This record gives sequence, structure tokens and C-alpha cells, in this order.
Amino acid sequence: MNPFPEHPSISLLPEGAVFLSDSATLVVADVHLGKSAAFRAQGLPVPEGDTARDLQRLLDLARKCRAAQLVVAGDLFHAPSGITPLLDAALADFIAELGLPVTLVVGNHDVKLKHIPSQIRAVASHDLGESIRIIHDPAHATGGRMHFSGHWHPVVRIPDGRRTSLRLPCFLYRSHTLVLPAFGSFTGGAILSPAPDDRVFVALREEVVELPAEMMG
Amino acid sequence: MPARALHPFFSTRGWQPFDFQKDTWDAYLAGKSGLLHAPTGLGKTLAVYLGPLAECSGSHCQVLWLTPLRALAADTLRALREPLAVLAPHCEAEARTGDTPAALRARLRKKLPHTLVTTPESLSLMLTHADFSEKLAGLRCVIVDEWHELLGTKRGVQTELCLARLRAWFPQLRIWGLSATLGNLTEARHALLGNSFSGSVEITAAIDKPLVIETLIPKEIDRFPWSGHIGTRLASQVADEIEKANVTLVFTNTRSQTEIWFQELLAIRPRWKDRLAMHHGSLDRSERDHAENGLRDGSLKCVIATSSLDLGVDFSPVDQVIQIGSPKGVARLLQRAGRSGHRPGSVSRIVGVPTHALELVEFAAARDAALARNVESRTPLRMPLDLLVQHLVTCAIGTPFEPAAMRREIQSSHAFAELTDAEWQWSLGFISNGGAVLAKYPNYHKARLEDGRYTVDDKRLIMQHRLSIGTISSDPAVSIKFVNGHTLGTVEESFIARLRPGSSLIFAGRQLTLVRFHQRTATVKAAARAGKGQVAIWGGSKMPLSTELSHAIARRLHGHGEPSLEMEAVEPILAIQRKWSRLPADDSLLVEHVRSREGEHLFFYPFAGRLVHEGLAALVAFRISRESGEAIHTTQNDYGFSLTAKRALVLDEEKLRSHLSAENLLDDLVSCMNTAELARRQFREIARISGLILQTPPGRKDRSQREVQASASLLFEVLDRYDPDNLLLVQSRREILEKQLELTRLTTAIRRLQAAPMHLVETANLTPMAFPLWADRLSASHSPGDAATRLEAMLRALNVAADSIRQAPATKLMAES
Repeated sequence: MNPFPEHPSISLLPEGAVFLSDSATLVVADVHLGKSAAFRAQGLPVPEGDTARDLQRLLDLARKCRAAQLVVAGDLFHAPSGITPLLDAALADFIAELGLPVTLVVGNHDVKLKHIPSQIRAVASHDLGESIRIIHDPAHATGGRMHFSGHWHPVVRIPDGRRTSLRLPCFLYRSHTLVLPAFGSFTGGAILSPAPDDRVFVALREEVVELPAEMMG
Repeated sequence: MPARALHPFFSTRGWQPFDFQKDTWDAYLAGKSGLLHAPTGLGKTLAVYLGPLAECSGSHCQVLWLTPLRALAADTLRALREPLAVLAPHCEAEARTGDTPAALRARLRKKLPHTLVTTPESLSLMLTHADFSEKLAGLRCVIVDEWHELLGTKRGVQTELCLARLRAWFPQLRIWGLSATLGNLTEARHALLGNSFSGSVEITAAIDKPLVIETLIPKEIDRFPWSGHIGTRLASQVADEIEKANVTLVFTNTRSQTEIWFQELLAIRPRWKDRLAMHHGSLDRSERDHAENGLRDGSLKCVIATSSLDLGVDFSPVDQVIQIGSPKGVARLLQRAGRSGHRPGSVSRIVGVPTHALELVEFAAARDAALARNVESRTPLRMPLDLLVQHLVTCAIGTPFEPAAMRREIQSSHAFAELTDAEWQWSLGFISNGGAVLAKYPNYHKARLEDGRYTVDDKRLIMQHRLSIGTISSDPAVSIKFVNGHTLGTVEESFIARLRPGSSLIFAGRQLTLVRFHQRTATVKAAARAGKGQVAIWGGSKMPLSTELSHAIARRLHGHGEPSLEMEAVEPILAIQRKWSRLPADDSLLVEHVRSREGEHLFFYPFAGRLVHEGLAALVAFRISRESGEAIHTTQNDYGFSLTAKRALVLDEEKLRSHLSAENLLDDLVSCMNTAELARRQFREIARISGLILQTPPGRKDRSQREVQASASLLFEVLDRYDPDNLLLVQSRREILEKQLELTRLTTAIRRLQAAPMHLVETANLTPMAFPLWADRLSASHSPGDAATRLEAMLRALNVAADSIRQAPATKLMAES
């Protein structure tokens, strides 16, 4: 889906990523690799599994949209204690198989790592031409252009008019910044409090739809 | 010292010991354990405590007194110190609970007093100290107060496990439980004593405290509502009753009802402003202390409370108890009635206030059952593995344990007597390397196996574990504070999130204005002028009517029992029910069918309590809609449930029986109740107890811990995906079915209905029994589907609504032309 007529190359993908057709760039945010390992390191028995699954999903997605580069809008990693030899190996395999340049806009979790693996280019922000800048924290957006960001893990709550409600990860567009949903499987979300001019997009089966404002109670 | 030697303690006070007290002393001094069952206010404390005092030697710790509520610890201590001062003046009694000041706690770490009053959580915590068994050397007796309150809960199982540990340390230990009336006293004793059950005794005080159960009869029954639960219609009559007594305790069934009745009574008697207080679990400790102290010294006229005041605290000045709305159970009514006349020889008096017509029958029935002492049972919990793994870590921290010996110890408890090899191995795996499938938990370890013993020695893990001991779930809540910082209590986020700054709300008996809501704190100020505000509401399911009370109601409806004012008053309404349909019973099933503008309705009256009815309604709706494809709305109350659909609800015995059949019961329930979602919610408690979720110490924010915080539902998903055989998941599914639907009771009800005759009645109007079900606005709808299907349906509905708004003017124009 392309919700921004002034940026015709942008598509929002139901997998929770953004694809820019003009530069063939795939953008995801908040993967949080090694999160379950960080839990185990603290004595909490959380099983392993998401690392392999999330890297595979990312690989499949990059192939499906024939991406030429991958940009992660922050928090590719969860914590230093989650960086195990197992993760290092899985990540090296992933990058080799992907065969594309990978750029990481360093997020608040990544910054705690002693070093970022050398195959990944770590930057503070990443510009796609003149009109789009990729950052991690939406608070660091500067005026004058469109931003893509992560950090918030936005989730929208949709009351069904009875006693229950749906909670869905979403894209949030607020004051020229598009906040991406968290890509990682073992990530929670923050329910957003809707502001007047917000635009909210959710995955519905194989596409992304924009929610009518009336639905966000 | 023979038991006779204790009598002087009585004679100097001019008292005569009761037989049950003498029996308890003798049994104790003969080395026996047991359960003492006596009504409150008859001297239970002296019965169990004087035995241990009679054989007191030295001043080391000899008696552990477990209380379910730390709020009771201070009162208990007072009651124990009195005989202690006379019979063993060289000994001390102290309390060690979560409220104990740090200085006293430090002193107790060095030396324990002769008698230590504590809670199950604090006892667990003390088990993590390596020298605890040495400090307790010489322990003779553990007394568990209000065992009926712990029985059937996870805290009860925690108590069982702690007792198993103490029995293993001190094989001669005597354990005594105190309990109110229960339908299953023998089972309760078994749960308390585990494998030391044989040779133990059960002592019952054969003295019935005089009990008076009355009901406020509405003056105009034909104007009295058929449904509802707020029922302030009788408020002025209630105020008159309060006027007549010295000190009244008013019990309601929900916290919101407490707030509403407080406002109502204040409006009727403004001059009671300073003599009226309220008490419920979401109020700040200082607010609750105000109410409790006022009851104790008699300075308050009346306190309105929820079950938060059901327990033990001795409020001698209270001479009247009022119960607003259904008593729900016989034991509960007796317990609440016992809050008045809290002295040997005085009368317990309770006045029932019906909030709708059928509750008149409930009060008459509750009196029948109460006088016959036909009270409910509490089923002990079995096999909560979340508690087992918590306890194993607790023990490993205290003293490294050898697995075979520990297994014997665990199986000596009632809850885990039937622990299987698979469950035991899984539990050991969970606390050490993550479980049988090692590959799933790389680099994880908590307890280490060293020289054949499990031990935990990582300082940080030990601290984490101590913080997480305790099983009472504390869900995150929003605290309500005045601008000056004074805290009033807590509400649920979903309630406060609906209010805007400047909106008024009613909480803690005050009319307030919301100033701001920020980061789990709602700041409020007193409302400038009196007016209507939103009364705080809390979630949580309503307690269902008990089987015993349902049965007593069915008997009353069919004319059993002494003539009573309640039945006389409600007769005109029962006459309508008889005329239009018939009176429901619990040895047959009445089903009514009505047509209305909404479509068709079926009303069923199985008399099995609201949770069971919720399950039955979902089940029958699911089975009918599977055949007909119609969406069906359901409602339920304590007497029955209703189904509403546009069409295809027919009164056909064969069909109805097939929809109520026990075949495929569990599968169909799991399909229709969205148990995955429910189990995920239940998992929060299990995750916290088993140590999957870290507790942050109050007032301290550990930044490193933020990286390892995940919601229970996220953890549930991860476990479900990568370790689906994890026994904690199995436990959460089982617990949710039992908690949400009372599965055991539902299964019994289904079996009963299969054998029972069915009465099918076509009615022209909604009958008095049907009306409350029809009027219930909280209907649930059964159109199962995944998130995408639900979202599509909502988008469609929105489009339809938008279209109809757009088309409306056009239709109007056409009509005009």
C-alpha cells in the first residue's frame, strides 16, 4: 500500500516493513535479536527460537521484494548479554545469504553493545535522497522532510463496541514521521494514545489498510 | 504440666473453659495434630495456644502462628501476649510479616521469640535463610489460623509446602489448624496435615452461637425491580436500621457497590458525615486503618465494606451486620454474620437487603441452609507446578537439597501427593537447565547440581527470588493521589483512561475532580461542588451462587421450609411466574421460548451459578450456530442463561438435549470460549509465581532489569511456539477452565441435566425469571474468528453505518416527494 501521494515509491508491507521502489530499499525496525538469550542470562527460562525465525522472515522478505539494500531503523540487537556465539554465527550466515549491504541506524539498545559486527554499517541516521531520513527515536526528527523511525513498537487498540478490543501492531504516521511496528517476534508493544492528525495502518491478511479515525476509540 | 493446670488462667478471670478447649489441650499434650472447628468469638485462640504454653521450656522459638492476613498479625499478637504474660512471663511473642519494621526484622534474624506470628509468604522467605532450621530447633507446634481462607488457594499450597519442610526438619512437630464451618472438614484437615494425617483429630465446638438472619422487606413488592444489582431503593429503610443499632457493618458484593452505598447513605443522613467510613481492597492502607480503628473503638456509626473485612479482626462494638444483595453462599453469610456479637454468649445478627425481588428467596433459602449448617466445601488445589518450582528454588537457596529426599518431602504434602516422575523431572529441569529439551534453553541455569545436591548461589538470582516469593498477584494499578501527595488508593487503568482532566469521579467515598493522569498516577482534588461523578468500577468476575445455596433456593421455590416474610412478600411475583410458565427446580430443567422484536429467545434455568451458566450458554450457542449459521447473543445470571437469535431457536427436546450433551464437552468448550486468549491472561499469575517475570522492588528502578521485562502474554506466545510441552502452559489451560467456568461444577451440571426431565414452555411474555436475563446489557456475542476476520467485520459494520447516514437524507426526500 502507498498512502503518501507525494512519495509514490513508498509501500507499507503487511510483514511490518517499508519498501522504497526507487532505491529498492527495505526498511525494518526493532528486531531485538538475542532477547531470549538475555533473559536466560538473567536466570529466566525463556526458550530459544525467535532469532532463527526472525532472520529467516527478514531473508524471505528481502528476496520477495528484490531489495538492493537493507536498513534497520534501530534496535537490531537487544542487549550485550544476548550476544552469544550462537547469535554471531546465525547473523554471519544471514548476511552471507542475504548478499546485500546492511545499514543499522544505531538504536538505544544497540548502543550498549561493545561493537557492532563488522559486516554491518552502523550510522546515527541514514538519508534516502533529499526527502527521507531514517532515524531510531521519533523524538529526534527534524523538520523539513519525512522520517522513518522505530523505537515505539506502536500497537493500536480497536474497541469492538462490546467488551473486548483488538490489539494490532501498526504503522503510525504522526507529524511527518512514519513509526514502524517492531519486526522482532519477541517484542512487546506500546498501545498508542491517538492524537488528532494521526494516520494508522495495520496489516489485514495480504495487504496493509488505513484505519478510519472512528475505529480508534 | 497437665491440662488442669491451665484452668487457673480461666478461673482468675471468672471463666469456665468449654469442653472443646479442654479436649484440644488434652489432644495437644498427647502429642496429636488436628483441626479445630469453632465459630468466631468463642475462644479458639486459647484452645490451641494454651497447650503449647503448658509445656513451655526455655525461651527459644517453640510456636509458629500462621495467619492468612498480615493485617491480622497485630490483633493476633495482642490476643497471644495476654496468656503468655501469665503462663510464661519470661517468653516473648513477636510478628514477622511484610509490614514488620526493618529494626525488628533485623533483631528477629538474630534470635526468634518463643512465639512467632507470620504469614505463609514470610515463612517461605525465612526458608531461604541458611540458619533458619537451627534457629527453629526446639519448635514444637505450628498453628494455622483461618485455614479455611487459605484452603483452595495457591497460598494454601504454599503453606502446605512450608509445613512439609518443617515436618521433615522436626518429625515430632504438631500442627493445628483453625477453621470456620466447611462442608469438607476432613478433607481440609488432610490438606493441612498431608501424610501426618493419620492419628490426627478433629475437634468441633458443639456450641452454636445464636444467629439471627432477617430480611428487609420492600414495602411495595409490585414496584420492586425484577432485576439489577445496585438496588439502592431500600436505602432509607437501611438508614433506619443503622440508626437503631450501635455500630453497623454493611457488606456489599463489589467495590463499586460500596462506593455507591456510601454516597447514598450520606445523602440520606448528611449528619453521619464523620461517623461513616468505607473499606475495600483498593483503598490505601491509611483509609482502611481509619475504618478498622473506628470499628474497634466504636467511634464510627457504620462502615461499608466488601469481603476485605470478612476476616478475623475483632470488632467487638459491632452489634449489627447488613448484607446488601445476594449472600452468594452459606459459609459467606455465616462468616459475615459472625462479625457481629464477637463475644462468647452474644448474638450474631445479620439483616439481608434484597436488590431485586428474587433475592428475597435467596435470603430465606440462605437462612434455611445456615440454620441447618449446610455449608459449602472448599476443594484443595492439586499440583500447581508454578508453586512447586518456586518452592524448590526457595529450598535450594536455604539449604542445598538432595533430589530423592526432597521428592519424598514434597509428596508428603496433600497437593503433591500424586506427583509423577515426569512432573518431578520437569520441575527439576525448570529450576536448573531449562528442562528436558536442553537445546531450547542454551546458556540457562539457575540451580546447580553439586555433589548430588541442588543449590543456588548466584547472589543476584537469590535477591531476585526473594523479591518474587509470594503468590498474591498484584496487577499494575493506577494510584489516586491528592495534589499534596496523600494517597487514596488504586483504580484500574481502563477506568481512569476514560476520564478527562476536569471530569468528576467518586472514589474512597469522596467526590473528586481529575487534575491529570500521568505514568500510573492520577492526581485529583476535591470536587468544587457536589454533583454526580462516575463511580470507580473494577473488573473481576462476580462470585457465583454456591451449589448449596442454589439448592436451597430451588427448595424454597417449591414450597419447602417454614413460612417466612420473604416468601410471603415475593409471592405475587412467583404467582406470575407460575401462571405464565412454571417455577424452575434443580431436579428438572425448565426451558422457556419467547418471540420478540429482536427475534427468538430461549431461557434455561439450570440453577448452577453464573460461571457455569456462562460456559453452558457459550457451549449451547456454539453448537446451535454451528448447525444454523446464525449469530447468537448470550446472557447469564445465577439462575440461568439466555440465547437470542434472529431465527432458528426452537423448543425441541431432542435438539436441546443434543446441544446440552456431554459428548465432546472439553473440545467444544475450548473452541467456543477462546481459551487460548483466556489462558494467556491466567498465565500472568503463573509466570510471576514460577519466576518467569521479575518483580521490581518497590521504589527502586533497576535499569539492567528493564532489558528482561516482557509481558506475560508475550512469554506465553514464545513458550507456546518453541516449548509447547512446557507444563506451565498445560497448568494455565487447566486453571483457566476451572476459574472461568468452574469446569468441575459444569461437568456435574451437564450430567445432572442429562438425567433430569425437561419442561418446555412457550410463553407470550417475558416471565419474572426471564426478564433479568433479557435486560442484562452485558451480553456476549458468539461469532468466533481470528483477528483478521474480526477486523473485517468491524470495518464492514462501519461502512454500513456510514452508508446509512449518507443515504438517510435521500430516503427522506423521496418520502416527501
